[in-house]
Amino acid sequence: MTSLPDRTVGIGLRQPHYREVFERTPVLGFLEVHSENFFLDGGASVHALERARAAYPISLHGVGLSLGSADALAHQHLAKLARLVDRIEPALVSEHLSWSSLGTRHFNDLLPMPRTREVLALLTERVDRVQSTLKRSILIENVSAYFEFHDSDMTETALLDELARRTGCGILFDVNNLYVNAVNFGFDPMARLGELSAAAIGEMHLAGHTCTDGCLIDTHGAQVCDEVWALFEAACRRFGPKPTLIEWDTDLPALDVLLGEAATAGSIARRTVEVACA
Amino acid sequence: MPELLDIQRDLASALHDADAAARAGRWLAGDAVLIEQRLAIYRANVAVAGTKALGAAYPVVRQVVGEAFFDGLARAYQRRVPSTSGDLSEHGAAFAAFVAEFPHTQSLPYLADLARLEWAVHRAYGAADAKPWDRQTLAQVAPARQSSIRLAWAAGTDIVDSNFPIARVWRIHQPDFDGEFRVDGSIRECALVAREGFRVVVSALAAGDAAFTASSLAGAALGASAEAALAADPGFDLGHLLGRLMAANVICGFSTDKDD
Repeated sequence: MTSLPDRTVGIGLRQPHYREVFERTPVLGFLEVHSENFFLDGGASVHALERARAAYPISLHGVGLSLGSADALAHQHLAKLARLVDRIEPALVSEHLSWSSLGTRHFNDLLPMPRTREVLALLTERVDRVQSTLKRSILIENVSAYFEFHDSDMTETALLDELARRTGCGILFDVNNLYVNAVNFGFDPMARLGELSAAAIGEMHLAGHTCTDGCLIDTHGAQVCDEVWALFEAACRRFGPKPTLIEWDTDLPALDVLLGEAATAGSIARRTVEVACA
Repeated sequence: MPELLDIQRDLASALHDADAAARAGRWLAGDAVLIEQRLAIYRANVAVAGTKALGAAYPVVRQVVGEAFFDGLARAYQRRVPSTSGDLSEHGAAFAAFVAEFPHTQSLPYLADLARLEWAVHRAYGAADAKPWDRQTLAQVAPARQSSIRLAWAAGTDIVDSNFPIARVWRIHQPDFDGEFRVDGSIRECALVAREGFRVVVSALAAGDAAFTASSLAGAALGASAEAALAADPGFDLGHLLGRLMAANVICGFSTDKDD
C-alpha cells in the first residue's frame, strides 16, 4: 500500500520554501507536492522536485484528475501523471473522492460527489483504470464539502472503505476534511472513524480551515485547530500511526511554523503508541 | 435514481452562472438561500484559483494594471474563456487576445503584446531542458552544404514582435531589476524569449537578428534565413548572432538536408 514507514511525518512543499528546505534539509519523513505543478517538460520546477526527491521520499498529491466526472476520465491528464510518476518514483500517489470537470469545462476545485451505488461503481472503475495505468496502488482522499446531496445513501467514510476493498487502493484520511464536514452537516466525526479499516489507511492529512457565517471552509491556510488534533489523536489510537502530512497552501507561513505543526503531529502519534504499549 | 451526469450538468451550470442555481438546487439538501450561499463558496473558489493561475502566468501585466484591476480582468477573462485543464498552468493561453479586445484596457495599447510576451515566458519556463551538444560539428559542415543547415532551437524559444518596447517594459518589472526605469515608448521591439539553463531570458533583437530568428524558428534553412536577415538589415552579422545563441545553448543542434 505505502512505501513509507507508519511513524513518519511530512509537510507539503511549496515554492516559497524550496530554497530553505534544500539548505536546511529539516528532519522530515517525506515531502508532498501537487502533481499538476510538475507536469511540465522541464525547467526550474521539475529540477527542484528532482532535487527534493534526492533528499526525501516524495508523495505526489493530485488535485486535477477529476476521478468522479460522470462523462469521462481525462486521459491526457492521466498520461501526464504517469510520466511524472515514472520520473519521480514517488513513495505515495494520491487523488480525491471528487469531481472537477464536465465536458471541456474544468472548475479546478474539488467538488463533492453524491454517495450512491452508482457513484461507487463509477469510482471503482476509474480507480482500477488509474492503478493499472500507473502500475501501482493509489490513495483516495475524503474531501471537504459545503453542500449535501439528497440522494446520498451512505457516508463518505463507508464509501471510501468499500472503494478500497474493491480496488485495493488505499485511503488518504484527511482529518480536517472530516471535521469540516461534521460541523457543516452536523454529525459526530468520532463515530465515522469506525467505518474506516485501519489496514487501508496509507496516509493522514492535517490542515487548518476558516470559519465563515455558518460554514467551515477548508482553506489550508491556518494552523490545525484543537478539535482536529483531538480527532487525529483518536485516529492514531484507532488505526495506529500512519504517514501524516501538514498541508498548507494559502497564506503560507514561515517554514518553521510548518515544522512546528509536524512536530506536534509526531508527538501526538508517539503518545498514542506509548499508551497502547503501556 | 437520477443520473450522475444530470446532477453534474446542473451543478456545472450553477457554478458558471448564479441564475442557473435553481436547477442544481433540486439535488441538494437545504433551502434555496442556504444552497445559494454554499454554491457561492465554490464559485468564489473557482474564480480565485483561476485568477491566481493567471497572476502567476502574467505577473508583469498584473503589476502594470494593478492588483485590483487585474483581478477584475482575470474574472472577465474566465467568464469568456473558462479553464479546460486540470493543470491550471495551461489556463490563460487566450489572455493576450482577450486583452486586445477588452474595452477597459484600450488605453494601454502595448498590454496585449506584453501579455503575449509573458505567455511565451511562461511556456519557456516549463519547456524541456536543452541537451548539451558539440558546437564544433557545425563548423565541420562542408561550405557547399552550409546554406542548407537547419538550426535546432531549444524548446520554449520564441519571438514576440511589437510596435512597443515590450522587452524593456518586461525587464524593468523584474524583481531583480535595479537600473533606470524610464521607457521610450516610441521604440519598437522584437523580443526573443529563450531558456538559458533554468532562467528565462528576454532580450530585444535588432531588425536583422529578428528576421533571421523568425525565419529559422519557422523551420527555414540557414541560407534563406540569412537572406531574410540581410534584407531587413544590410549590416546583419550572422557569425555574431550564432556565437551568442550557441554560447547560451539557445541553438542546441542542427541538421542538414542529405540530398543537397
